Amino acid sequence: MRNAKLDRLGDTALPWLLPAALLLGWQAAVSAGLVSNRFMPAPLDVVRAGWEAGRTGELWTNLGVSTLRALAGFVIGGSIGFALGLANGLSRLSERLTDTSVQMVRNVPHLSLIPLVILWFGIGEEAKLFLVALGVFFPIYANTLHGIRSVDPGLVEMGRVYGMSRSELFARVVLPGALPSIFVGLRYGLGIMWLTLIVAETISASSGLGYMAMQAREFMLVDVVVLAILIYAALGKLADALTRQLERTCLAWNPAYRSA
Amino acid sequence: MLLDAVRREALPDAGSAPRQAGGSASSRPPAEPAGRGIAVTVRDLHKSFDGTAVIEGLNLFLPAGGFTAVVGRSGCGKSTLLRLILGLETPTGGRIDLEGPATSPRRSEPPKRIMFQEPRLLPWARVVDNVAVGLSGLGSRAERRERALAALAEVGLGDKAGQWPATLSGGQRQRVALARALVSRPGLLALDEPLGALDALTRIGMQDLIERIWQAQGFTALLVTHDVAEAVALADRILVVEAGRIALDLRVDVPRPRRRGDPDLARLEGRILDHLLGAPQAA
Repeated sequence: MRNAKLDRLGDTALPWLLPAALLLGWQAAVSAGLVSNRFMPAPLDVVRAGWEAGRTGELWTNLGVSTLRALAGFVIGGSIGFALGLANGLSRLSERLTDTSVQMVRNVPHLSLIPLVILWFGIGEEAKLFLVALGVFFPIYANTLHGIRSVDPGLVEMGRVYGMSRSELFARVVLPGALPSIFVGLRYGLGIMWLTLIVAETISASSGLGYMAMQAREFMLVDVVVLAILIYAALGKLADALTRQLERTCLAWNPAYRSA
Repeated sequence: MLLDAVRREALPDAGSAPRQAGGSASSRPPAEPAGRGIAVTVRDLHKSFDGTAVIEGLNLFLPAGGFTAVVGRSGCGKSTLLRLILGLETPTGGRIDLEGPATSPRRSEPPKRIMFQEPRLLPWARVVDNVAVGLSGLGSRAERRERALAALAEVGLGDKAGQWPATLSGGQRQRVALARALVSRPGLLALDEPLGALDALTRIGMQDLIERIWQAQGFTALLVTHDVAEAVALADRILVVEAGRIALDLRVDVPRPRRRGDPDLARLEGRILDHLLGAPQAA
């Protein structure tokens, strides 16, 4: 009851205390010469590198290219996974026909396909799209299927008795019931999306964030390498925050997702 | 005052149009607005699951607008009987005929509704939208909403229309489920132990509510319960089901409103309990 405003400020600041201390320590260690800046640039150098890359426009071009690739791959893989998850959740026939095959392919690490994909598509856009789409497909598929399977059969029976048509039953009972699980798939998918894209861009690309980092390594520009890594972290956090916001809006009925 | 009536012989065993068998000891429909109820005729009903017979040659006639309770030990087939009448299960043998009020044209027959043991509300729909589920495919969106709000007011939850079901108490949820069942003005309301999970006081309140609405609307009510006191308080006829057949058919002629603790009701309750407890174990 001392000072509510101050308390609230402290509450907001608390999670950032540790990162801030780390940054300060890091800066101090490099400035004092404890760490060679050939291996680890000082935070201020990274900021300067970011400023420089932003000024020349190189950063924005690469960021734009990577984001576009990530989203395109995500949309393609995600929608196929979602559609197949729905089909297999709703139809026994479809599940019996495809689920075994999907499970077999799932056990192949999709990044192991990189050599094959380079042979097929070269280092063009298709290669990256294919890998991202493949990586995103599985978590979305599996969680959509699981979500539909776990819809309370009592509610489905209720919908039938109360005269809902098939499409109404789907829109009002099955899909909302599966939504929490679909969101889990979405978040996994987003994580895999960045991971796959970065690996693919690092190995075979002529633009994008991964390419920018690899170029910087060739020229020993450690600050740019670290900058790229920090941007990945920020992008991942951003994607996660957006999903959380979406969850909070779509799942407002569920006490577990209601904002405090 | 209490009549035993073994009804098997009273049923018309042939003929396409099931009618109320004239002069049979049928339970008396409520004095209030009759004519909305659906009459149910069950003939030689059989149902088995994986070769295990649950209902074995059951005959039954439920007159329009009556309030019938079905009691029995768990596993005696009483819930299955209710699900068969509602069309949630298909009978292995025999037939079930539902006959709406003679006045209404075939197309606009009043629907049949069920209240489950659990409320089964859609957690992602607001309370008023949950009630509107009872009007699926009827009227415009605005009309449905208006009727849903009216039904909510009828069960005393008009102020909860915009809330999520998760914020309601168990008794309130079951009242929303009741509003959902009644919003379409059903001709038959099946109640599958709907009050079993509620505390004693809430349960009595719900019983009074159900009785009041039944008297006002005149639908046919079929209550499955393991609570004999509840059956005796609400029904004008009680069927005791044993091993897939009707073992006892009692009429309750105690006038309404019934006072809890009425000696006549207590005597009847004791008699049914004696029968249930003394009866040989169901196979």
